[in-house]
Amino acid sequence: MKCKICDRETSGNEYCELHARAYESIVKKYDEWKKALEISWKEYLSEIAKNPLTGEWAREVAEHLMKDGEEQNVAKG
Amino acid sequence: MEKHTLMITEKPDAAQRIASALDVQGKAKKMEDNGVPYYVAKRDKKIIVVPAIGHLYTVIEERKGRNYYPVFSFRWVPRYLAERGAKQIRTWLETISKLANDADMFIDACDYDIEGSIIGYCILKYACGNKEDISKRMKYSTLTKEELDKSYAELQPHLDFALIEAGRARHEVDWLYGVNLSRALTIAARDWSGKYATLSTGRVQGPTLRFLVAREKVIRCFVPTPFWSIKANVEIADSTFEAEYEKEIIESKKEANIILDACKGKNGEIEKIDIKRFQQMPPVPFDLGALQSEAYGLFGYTPMRTSNIAQRLYLDALISYPRTSSQKLPPAINYKAILKNLNKVSEYKKLTAELLAKPQLKPNEGKKEDPAHPAVYPTGNLPERVLDVSEKNIWDLVVRRFMAVFGEPGIRQSMKAHINANDHRFYLRGRQTLKEGWLRFYGPYVRSEEVLLPPIKEGQIINIKKIILEDKFTKPPPRYNPGSLLKRMEEAEIGTKATRANIIQTLYDRKYARDERIVVTDLGFEVVETLKKYCPTVVSIKLTQELEEKMNNIQLNNAKREDVLVGAVEILKPVVEALKEKEKTVGEQLSNAIKKSRLDERTIGTCPICKTGKLMTLYSRKTGKRFVGCTNYFKGLCKTSFPLPQRGTVRPLGKNCRGCGWPTVQVRIKGRRPWILCFNPKCPLKEERRKRIEMQNMRQGN
Repeated sequence: MKCKICDRETSGNEYCELHARAYESIVKKYDEWKKALEISWKEYLSEIAKNPLTGEWAREVAEHLMKDGEEQNVAKG
Repeated sequence: MEKHTLMITEKPDAAQRIASALDVQGKAKKMEDNGVPYYVAKRDKKIIVVPAIGHLYTVIEERKGRNYYPVFSFRWVPRYLAERGAKQIRTWLETISKLANDADMFIDACDYDIEGSIIGYCILKYACGNKEDISKRMKYSTLTKEELDKSYAELQPHLDFALIEAGRARHEVDWLYGVNLSRALTIAARDWSGKYATLSTGRVQGPTLRFLVAREKVIRCFVPTPFWSIKANVEIADSTFEAEYEKEIIESKKEANIILDACKGKNGEIEKIDIKRFQQMPPVPFDLGALQSEAYGLFGYTPMRTSNIAQRLYLDALISYPRTSSQKLPPAINYKAILKNLNKVSEYKKLTAELLAKPQLKPNEGKKEDPAHPAVYPTGNLPERVLDVSEKNIWDLVVRRFMAVFGEPGIRQSMKAHINANDHRFYLRGRQTLKEGWLRFYGPYVRSEEVLLPPIKEGQIINIKKIILEDKFTKPPPRYNPGSLLKRMEEAEIGTKATRANIIQTLYDRKYARDERIVVTDLGFEVVETLKKYCPTVVSIKLTQELEEKMNNIQLNNAKREDVLVGAVEILKPVVEALKEKEKTVGEQLSNAIKKSRLDERTIGTCPICKTGKLMTLYSRKTGKRFVGCTNYFKGLCKTSFPLPQRGTVRPLGKNCRGCGWPTVQVRIKGRRPWILCFNPKCPLKEERRKRIEMQNMRQGN
């Protein structure tokens, strides 16, 4: 199976080892953002995607999750 | 025919200096044989001092060819047999052999360290005809006349064979690792893609790249977290000072706003003043690593550059031998004599006089020791030629550090006033130096801040002019720079003081890393990931440390070179076999990374005209000339193209022009200053520049 972001081989998961690590970091930090700004998951993703301090892989995952979310909404609609 | 003494040095500069120091009249005669310089000194007998040019011998495989691995049998040969472009070594060795024929005494006067000992040993053994056992050794740490005279008078009766064995083991183990792993990677990639690209890794290079990759992963996965900090501008005696809120980090915006509302428009009262005095001990003398780190922090010089500058200063007899790990300055170097000589320099006159007036000079030494050399120190000799800016900087730094280690401790005072504003506390901090001590000697290189507060007392009411709420984000860990990476290698005890800077440079040369604040390239990532996956032992820091320890044990006569080599091969053999087994997979991964890395090197940025294609460096099929074109050209969508200079290197900067936002490249042509090229013919910056030049021409015309 290939990583949804970079086409690297994965061990059966959605993301490769590197993007999976970035995904974990995003999930872990959401609690702190929620406490700090009382924002939704979607708002959080948008905030970190545009923050210049966000790492390259974390940004790619955030953008992918946002796009994925939009596609799911379109599909549901 | 009168027999002479043949003395071998590591470099021509050292040969000239040693010969002149030993000559009774201080003027050794320079001779030349086939373009190889040597010096004749007259003393109790004729001494011929002949230099090497670094290593003249190296290790190669027994069987010829570069297209195979594993390789476990090797031999030492003259470098001209192993390297293209080393033809000069042949004449060099012929001259040394000729001079050895009429010699009845041999002295190895190469630098007293592992590399120097190996250089001298190989020449005495192979070029002079097995004279290594009867040769004597000169040991010195500076190239001053006094020390060279003393060293010649007290020659060591034989070579330091423990040091030589340790050096041979280091060269051989590193060669085995380097040649096998690098060939495995290069051959795997070449056989898969059909294209050649040099890939390398080694015993120290692999773990060093791993440090970078580990940091890069943290940075690339980093998600910043918001936090807030609050500051108050307070007015005391008509001046404004900044006080910080008691809690450095406020984790929620709601909490920050509550504090802000509570303190706005309120006065503060000084509840308490804490005053602390503390001693600031003098620094310890420079070892090479500390000198490289300090020079990087102060002047931005890479470790390699500092090492080269220090080597030049050493060859000019201005500083002691720089490749040392010692932080000790033994009294035998004669502190007073050095200071007296430095007293002749106007900038150091007062400072040295102050130290010379002390009843006793005792340096503040560090813990690290080096059996061969003391810490880096100025010899007291003054420059005989005009030093360039970088040489002057390093010499001044070494001189000032030397003076500083003899200084008294500095005394600093910190003051912290607790200001209560509506039951919230702010801290106003001051810092000042009460007694300069050693800080005066270190002068321009001291990095301590002075914040002087006006007289204040407890109970005093303070006017809070403004409360400032700052939105902040946590930051990723800093990238390594060549200085901090060198420090990391030192901490991990991998590599040696002589090799670390070169290894860092190799990471750049192989395109595994780029930029001063080091960014790991995709190729660098792939090399580490591949090695980690298929042969984790070779990027293991622990394994490298263990090998270092074993090699140090040879130097201490606690281990044998042969045993260490056998141990290294036992580790390496299964690793290389595993790589061979997975050659296709490894080759595919590395080839893809090389392809991507080459593509990245040529990709300049998004096309500013069609906004969808990429601007790339391309080559004309007709003329072979390079130019910039849009990738959409091949789809028939965009015809954007720009000319490029045909000479020099063109590197995409990854940054857009500050004038027009178009992508930019940096052009480097030998002998010219590099410049940034924006492709936009209508860039406002170009227009500005054109007008400026016109104005200048008009003024000159008038």
